[in-house]
Formats: sequence, structure tokens, C-alpha cells
Amino acid sequence: MTVTDWVFLAIALVTLFSAYRVVTTHKIMHAALWLGLTFVGVAGIFLLLGADFLAAAQVLVYVGAITTIIIFGIMLSSVEDLRGESFDNVWKRLSSRLTSSRRGIWPLLAAVGLAAAMVIVVSRGQWPASPHAPALDTPRLLGEALFTRFVIPFEAASIVLLVALIGAIALALKEERTE
Amino acid sequence: MTLSLPVVLGVGAIMFGLGVYGALTQTNAIRVLMCIELVLNSVNINLVAFSRFTADQALGQIFAVFVMTVAAAEAAVGLAIILMIARRKTQIDIDQINLLKW
Repeated sequence: MTVTDWVFLAIALVTLFSAYRVVTTHKIMHAALWLGLTFVGVAGIFLLLGADFLAAAQVLVYVGAITTIIIFGIMLSSVEDLRGESFDNVWKRLSSRLTSSRRGIWPLLAAVGLAAAMVIVVSRGQWPASPHAPALDTPRLLGEALFTRFVIPFEAASIVLLVALIGAIALALKEERTE
Repeated sequence: MTLSLPVVLGVGAIMFGLGVYGALTQTNAIRVLMCIELVLNSVNINLVAFSRFTADQALGQIFAVFVMTVAAAEAAVGLAIILMIARRKTQIDIDQINLLKW
């Protein structure tokens, strides 16, 4: 194993563990912070795969913006949800989970089945063994492709962003105007 | 073996499973949004990995850029909706939100 493999292994473990904590931790604020760590880990994986522009965009958009907006959302919404479940006993929590149909065995089966199916398909497939040489300047590569081959999707994405911006402001303002 | 494709895809698949499990089981609407972000991120990992192992490296990365755009829009609009519901109902438990209008 080379150094890259070890670094990838470490980053992947951190990413997966923090993703696991996002789902399982009690306090929702902690879940938001674990989500930020997951985004940082994904940015590290992007870096190792040679997508340095995407890694920077990931840090800016996800770590900088989406984590912050989620924390704002948590703080502006209800207070009693901050603490989460009140079971201290692990076994009591586990049994209450497994006996309820909403949070019980079926979602677990669905998620594990989906992931297992994907892993099986991936492990059986024929994949190219060695990566191509990494593109040296991904910003130029992406910029040229965005403004030549993908110019119409690019404009559509900007319209999507504009509509989302207006929609979010309109949704958040409506209540105050009627009060 | 330096960073083979199935390993990266496996990481993406496990993260996808975690996100799906969270989105199915959580009752807090904001937590569900977070798990959807996990799912979108795992898809991005797969796209970037594929782009590294194909000749045309711009394709997968540009797809990932668009996924990121849609995820940002989704987070903004979703949180605005959640905030509006929280103001009116004083809770965001998705099992209790069962009215289209109130």
C-alpha cells in the first residue's frame, strides 16, 4: 500500500464514522457539526481523486454555507427537538427502536439492502485498473467545458439557483407580512 | 494498487446506505434534510471517482458541480419551508405534520 492508500483509508474512515454519527447522535446540533466533518472528509476524498476545484467548491458550498444554514435552521426552529431522545439506556433505546414500525427493522433492511446491492454490483464489475493521469488544471478544464459543451445546463442551473433564492426569501417573509 | 475504483465506490455506497437509513428513520425534519445531504455527497464521490477513471475527466466533475448546485438550492428551500412550519406549528416532527393547509 502506498502513502495515498493510507491517507485515503484514514479520510474514508473519518468520513464514514462522522456520517454514522450524523444519523445516530442524540443532539441535533452535534449531528450538524458531524455533518460538517463529513463534508470536510468528502472534500479530502475529492482532493485525493485529483478534483481540486471540486474540493475547494465542496469546502466553500457545503462546509461554509450548507452547514451554517442548517445550524441557523436548528436554532430558529423548535427548542425541544434540540435534545433528541431521552433514553439513556442503550438496550431500552434499541428495543424501542426495533418494536416500532416507523423506525424499526424495515428502514434498516432497506438501507442495508441498498448498500449491499451496490457493493455487490461494484465488486463484480469489470473496472479500469489504473486511473488516467490527473488533469493538471481542473479549473480551466471545468471552465472551458462549462462555457462550451455544457452552456445550456449551466444557464439552467443558474436559473434554478435564482428561483431557489427568490423562493426561500418569499417563504421566509410571508409569515411576517401577514402578522 | 493505488486508490482503485471499487474501494472509492464502496465508500460511496456505505455513505449512501447511512443517508437512506437516516432519512427513513429520523422524525426531525432538519435531521432528514441532513441525511439527504449525505446521500447527495455520496453520489458526488461516485461521480468524481468515475471521472478520474475515464478519459474525459471534465464530464463527471461537471455533473458533480450540478449536483452541488441542486443540493444548495434544496437546502435553502427546504430549510425555509421547515422554518415556516416551525413558526406555525411550533414543532417540526415530520410524523405530526399531516395537513396541507392550516
